[in-house]
Amino acid sequence: MHIPDGFLNTPVWATLDVVSAPAVAWVARRAQRDTQDHRIPLLGVMGAFVFAAQMINFPVGPGTSGHLVGGALLAIVLGPAAAALVMTAILALQALIFQDGGVLALGANVFNMGLAGVAAGYLPYRLWHAERRTVAIFAAGALSLMTSACLALGQLLISGVPMRGGLLWASLALFLVNALMEGAITVAAVSAIERLNPEWVPGPRPASSRTLAGVALAALLLVVIGTLVASAAPDGIERLTAAGVDSATWPRSAIGGVMGIAMILALCFLGGKLIARRRSA
Amino acid sequence: MHHLVIDRWSRGTSPLHQCDPRAKLAALLVFLIALSTTLPPAQGAFAAYAILLLLAAKLAHLPLRGLARRAALVLPFTATFALLTWWSGDSLRALALIEKSFLSGLAALLLVSTTPLTGWTAALESWHAPRMLILVIQFVYRYLFVIAEQAQRMRWAALCRGRGSFRLAAGLVGVLFARSWQRADGVYHSMLARGFRGRFVPSPLAPFHAIDALFLFACLAGCLAIRILL
Repeated sequence: MHIPDGFLNTPVWATLDVVSAPAVAWVARRAQRDTQDHRIPLLGVMGAFVFAAQMINFPVGPGTSGHLVGGALLAIVLGPAAAALVMTAILALQALIFQDGGVLALGANVFNMGLAGVAAGYLPYRLWHAERRTVAIFAAGALSLMTSACLALGQLLISGVPMRGGLLWASLALFLVNALMEGAITVAAVSAIERLNPEWVPGPRPASSRTLAGVALAALLLVVIGTLVASAAPDGIERLTAAGVDSATWPRSAIGGVMGIAMILALCFLGGKLIARRRSA
Repeated sequence: MHHLVIDRWSRGTSPLHQCDPRAKLAALLVFLIALSTTLPPAQGAFAAYAILLLLAAKLAHLPLRGLARRAALVLPFTATFALLTWWSGDSLRALALIEKSFLSGLAALLLVSTTPLTGWTAALESWHAPRMLILVIQFVYRYLFVIAEQAQRMRWAALCRGRGSFRLAAGLVGVLFARSWQRADGVYHSMLARGFRGRFVPSPLAPFHAIDALFLFACLAGCLAIRILL
C-alpha cells in the first residue's frame, strides 16, 4: 500500500503533500500537548515495535498467513494524535531508508495510512468500545486497513494507472480479505496485551464527544467512498490525466509542483512558528 | 542486516558526504520533482537522470552494484502495476513507471547513504518540521533493529517449540509489546540518569558554505537542463 514515486501525477501528490504537512504539524502539536515527558521514548519504541511486529506471521487457513499492520493497534494503545505521529515517523523512515513508498508520495502515504488510517482505526473503538468491545476492536482494525487501501487505490486511479472493471473489483475483494484479517489480528493482539497488563490498553478519554466521533467516522467513510467513485468515473480520469500527461503542459505541471513544495514549506514554516509561539507563551 | 550497510556508507568522507544535509535534501526534492514531471516518451531524459545519479554515486565513492540492488526493492510493487499498464496497451507508460520509481528510489538512497540520520533530521528541523516528529523518527530508528532482532529471536524460539498457530502469534505480539514497553521505561530512566530535564536540545548544523550552495545550484541547473533540452 506504500505508493512509490512515479505513480501519482503531479496534481495528486502535490495536493496531498500540501494537505498532509499542516495536518501532521497539528497532530504533532496535539501529541506534544497530551504526552508527558516519560512517554516520549515510548512513542518511538512503539514505532519500532510496530515495525518488528509486522515480521510475526499469523497463520490463516492452509498455506496462507497475514501480519499485523498496526495502525488501529497504535490508535487504541496510544490515542489518535500520538498514533498518527508515530505512523508518520514510520512512513518517513520507510520512504527514505527502506525504499518503501516514495518521498514525493510521502504526503499521500501519510494521508492514507497515518491520518485517515489511524482515524478510521480510532473512531470505531471510541464509538463502540463501551458496549461491544471485541466488535469495536475488530471494526477498528478492518476499517483502518480498508480506508488506507481504498484511498491509495483511488489516488492511483485518479493518476491514470489503468485498471479494468474486473480488476478493480478483484482488488477490492482482496482488500476486504486483508481488512478482515487485520481486524482479527488486532483483536487477538489487543487481548494478548491486555492479559499481560490491562493498564496498557486504556479506554478513550471520556472528554471527547461521542456524537462528534460518529459524525467524523461517517465523514471519513464518505470521503473514502467518494474518492473511489470519483476515481472510477471515466471522465474524471480523462480530465485529470489530460492535465498530467499532455506533453505540451509540462511547464505548467512543473510550476504546479514547485508551487506545491513552496506551499508545503510555507505551511511547515507557519506551523513551526505557531508551535514555537505556543510553547513560549 | 541491511541497515548496517547504509549506516556504514553514510559515515564516509567523500565530498558528497561533507556537503550540507540541507543542500542535499533540497537537491533531492528538486531532482524528484523534475523526474516526476517528466512525461513517458522521454527516454533520453530518463537516461540523463540516471547519468546524473551515477555521477553523484561516483562522487560519493559508493558501490554502484550495492546501490542498484537496494534501489531494486521498489521493483516488485512497480512491476505488478507496469504489467497491468502494459497489458492495457500502454507500453511506454509501463516502462516509464519502472524507470521513474527505480530512479526515485535510487535518489533517496543516495541521500541516506551520504547523510547520517542525525544529518537529515537536523535539516528537516531547520526547516521547522515539528520537533516531536523528529524525536519520534530518531527514537524509532534507534530501537528499530534492537526490537526487530528480539522479534526474530522470539519467532525462531516459537517455531522450534512447534507448529505456529494464530493464538501463538498473538501471544508473541503481546510479549513483544510488553518487552518494548519495559524497554521504553528503561530508556526514559537512563535519560533521566544522564540529566534529561524534559527539554531536547536541537541538533547542531554546520554553517551553510558556498560550496553547498554551488552543489545545490549544479543540481538545479542539471535538472532544469534535462527538463528543457530533452
